[in-house]
Amino acid sequence: MTRNWKIFLAALVGCVVVGLISLRGLHRRVARLAKAEVTEEQARHEVLAPPVSTPTDVPVKAQMFWAGGPDGLAPVEIELPLSADAQERSRQLLQALIAEPPTPDQRTLPADVEVLGFYILPDGTAIADFSDALSNETPSGILSERLAVNSIVRTLESNVPGLRRLKILIHGQEVDTLAGNVDLTGFFDLNPSVPQPISPVAPTGPTPKSPPAAAVPKASGASPAPQKH
Amino acid sequence: MARGMKAELERQGLRVVMTRNDDSNPSYDDRASMANGYRDAIFISLHIATTGTVGSVRAYYDQMSAPYVPPADAASSPGKPALSVAPGLNSWNEAQRPYLNASHRLADLIQIELAQKFSGSGDTSLGAAVRELRSVAGPAVAIELSSVSGPDPDTLANAAAAPLADAIAQAITAFRAATPGGAKQ
Repeated sequence: MTRNWKIFLAALVGCVVVGLISLRGLHRRVARLAKAEVTEEQARHEVLAPPVSTPTDVPVKAQMFWAGGPDGLAPVEIELPLSADAQERSRQLLQALIAEPPTPDQRTLPADVEVLGFYILPDGTAIADFSDALSNETPSGILSERLAVNSIVRTLESNVPGLRRLKILIHGQEVDTLAGNVDLTGFFDLNPSVPQPISPVAPTGPTPKSPPAAAVPKASGASPAPQKH
Repeated sequence: MARGMKAELERQGLRVVMTRNDDSNPSYDDRASMANGYRDAIFISLHIATTGTVGSVRAYYDQMSAPYVPPADAASSPGKPALSVAPGLNSWNEAQRPYLNASHRLADLIQIELAQKFSGSGDTSLGAAVRELRSVAGPAVAIELSSVSGPDPDTLANAAAAPLADAIAQAITAFRAATPGGAKQ
């Protein structure tokens, strides 16, 4: 091997070593930048929607539903200070759902969404009022809209007992769809496994011979069913 | 993509009526109205999304629950009583209700075919409150092709047309064979 070849090989090895070292550094910087982005997002959210705190707040393990797997939701347990008051508790949960997904890939609701109001009526009907960002920034598509609604519904039903159904409003108004596909004109069942009273209401149209869709097990891909009123 | 699918479905012996042929945007009710004008029609709504597993496809059926019944102890219930509709007629907003099971079956059959043709697609169809389906008085499903984005989305969508049409045609054949007496539950 000539001297020139030896110099060339030594230079090549040197380049590879330098490349590997800088690649590691680059990877760290990318990870730091990603983390900084999340922090900035959270900081902005805290300014727009300050955390709800009440005198009855107690740290509890809350079961949150964020995106998990290609098409579904997965429960994630986090510790949250939650109020004893169901209305405030629901607001706290929804704010955490928006602001605290473990990773960006698990996000189901746009980061800029605000919970403008949350009300519970005496019959267990919950009304959640979100800012326009829910409608404007959720990617249009059945998959993404379904995930957004289901993450709200399943998080509420897992942590707030006594809720029967949910109505989603955008900026105080009923809207036709979330982002073009999922129907928001009806209500979504909460806790459908709780036995409901037998309907005394006259059937509308042909009598359904099958069980209501709410009885479909969630494992088969069913999502919370909307009700018409 | 829809035109490519139409040609393929017709080649397989199915009659296809499109709810639109250009950039017009008929309302959901207009589309349902058009579908409801045909006897024994099957309504298939095609969607393309920029999210989800690249190139995967999912079939959705509509999901409704039983009409709201206020609890006995809720004196000040805000729920409105269900509007009474003459016997034999369906409420427009609930037209899909008698066909929910049939639509679910059809969506499952389509999904079985899709899972074989498009890698990353799930094995089962999913229920969702799809606005476009609720007023269709017949078996109705929505099919969404995921993550069609990037520099040339049209090529990806067009490439999916033939296998999509084939999956739908095979599922419809199986569905028709299994429900010879009509699609109502």
